[in-house]
Amino acid sequence: MSRSASLAAERLRSTSSARRARERALEICAWASLVLALVPLVAIGIFLIGQGVRSLSLEFFTSDPPGDLSATGGGIRNAVVGTLMMTGLATLVAVPVGIALAVFSREIGGRVAAAVRFVVDVLAGLPSIVVGIFVYSLVVVATGHFSGYAGAVALAVIELPVIVVATDELLRLTDRRIDEGTRALGMLRWRSFLSVFIPTALSGIITGIMLAVSRAIGETAPLIFTALGNNFFTLDLNEPVQAMPLLIYRNALNSAFPAARDRAMGTALVLVVIVLGFNLAGRWIARRARPADQR
Amino acid sequence: MTTMAPAAGPSEEREQDVPASAELAVELDRVSAYYGSRRVVREISLPVRRNAITAIIGPSGCGKSTLLRCIDRMHELTPGARVEGRIDYHGMDLYAPDIDPVAVRRTIGMVFQQPNPFPTMSIHDNVAAPARFNGLLANKAAENELVERCLRQAALWDEVKDKLKAGGTSLSGGQQQRLCIARALALEPDVLLMDEPCSALDPIATLQIEHLMADLKRIYTIVIVTHNMQQASRVSDQTAFLTLGDDRAGFLVEMAETVEIFTNPKQQLTEDYVSGRFG
Repeated sequence: MSRSASLAAERLRSTSSARRARERALEICAWASLVLALVPLVAIGIFLIGQGVRSLSLEFFTSDPPGDLSATGGGIRNAVVGTLMMTGLATLVAVPVGIALAVFSREIGGRVAAAVRFVVDVLAGLPSIVVGIFVYSLVVVATGHFSGYAGAVALAVIELPVIVVATDELLRLTDRRIDEGTRALGMLRWRSFLSVFIPTALSGIITGIMLAVSRAIGETAPLIFTALGNNFFTLDLNEPVQAMPLLIYRNALNSAFPAARDRAMGTALVLVVIVLGFNLAGRWIARRARPADQR
Repeated sequence: MTTMAPAAGPSEEREQDVPASAELAVELDRVSAYYGSRRVVREISLPVRRNAITAIIGPSGCGKSTLLRCIDRMHELTPGARVEGRIDYHGMDLYAPDIDPVAVRRTIGMVFQQPNPFPTMSIHDNVAAPARFNGLLANKAAENELVERCLRQAALWDEVKDKLKAGGTSLSGGQQQRLCIARALALEPDVLLMDEPCSALDPIATLQIEHLMADLKRIYTIVIVTHNMQQASRVSDQTAFLTLGDDRAGFLVEMAETVEIFTNPKQQLTEDYVSGRFG
């Protein structure tokens, strides 16, 4: 082998082995962080299933909790229905308001948009217990009693910034060329938003809504002094309403009683399954919302 | 001239004693365009002949696109942008206070450099939607008829007639651009502005668009901005050459019949540019 050839071989081999080692290290780091991220998730899953699954029965879903937390039996029907009603109403209010806020601030631009964005950022950073106090003084004090409506308002305030931020980001990503296209065709602005921009961003907006719902459905603090909780079943949002996080909170506080502890664990498992279900449904809808060739 | 047979279509309403070549669809009179305090187009006067193709050529950044966007009042959509001078459309001042800019954009269509079909709409809806939203369609039958007519005019019908429900963005670049042309035609405009419509397309798709333009000018008046001088010489009837002045604003060097511009320009600047001796 000539001298230059052996030199070349040495150079190429040494760099390639160093590079390979570096690549290997990065790969190990990536795997390690994946495991690190999965550990708590899997642990929670195993824990919840292990602790909660024995509470699950037909009765658990079709009856209400016993008056005495320490008593066995009963179910969480009132809490499931209460949570779905309040989160549903909150979403029904927060989604159109949130999307409208994002669209208008985007369209108006300038200082108004900056102000809206600032307020939304502040709202997003607000501790949820503060949202609870705020709605308490705004709705509960004004109406004179705790109610499911007050709870729904509190959850809507929690959801609103999530939806505004998600929609705003997506509209920002919407192609400027598409915007020009709608303008050049003499399309009215509300028309362009309704028929072109929102559909284009829809799959992302749905993901944002799911994020908001997932966040709201698990909130406890804003409900403590708005919806208050209720040991009985009710469909009347004008009364105090039970919610799953509230039920978990009250029963877990009495974990000295095995029945209360099991009830809390069972409820937690159901709550997680519901959130998971919403997320899967959201993904499915989001995929359906995209044009066929981008799925 | 006096024994000329009555022409069909839009030319019917022409006055007998006015030669067809003299009729203007759009007339720009000392038009200047600004972004904030910066003037980017300086006092350009341009007669745009009806049922003809007017090409605007010139180096990058000389305000060709801006000038085009003044015609359909798209320029003013940029914050801080404004227009001075007068633009007449069949003798009507497009910038008069009682003129609705949205109506102007419906009458004067525009095709952009990058094909921009609406991504969530099917081929059919891309053509139908703008017309539907503008209340131009009585029923579903009228809609289907319009879609077919516009796609035929845009020379796209045969390629897409079996997949009208497919997404508009599933087409190739050249097909997307023809879809955008069909979409613009659906509003039944009178003038079609094309801003470098072929610069994102391959030579075959470019040729298709050029053939299409030659067809379309029988019905429409076309103004095309192009970087491609061969294209200007191939498709256009008259050509305007713009360049950048010392004040960094684009101005009109010369406008004439396309043949004149490319074979016998009056200005040295034009000759240098079209013969490739520019800058």
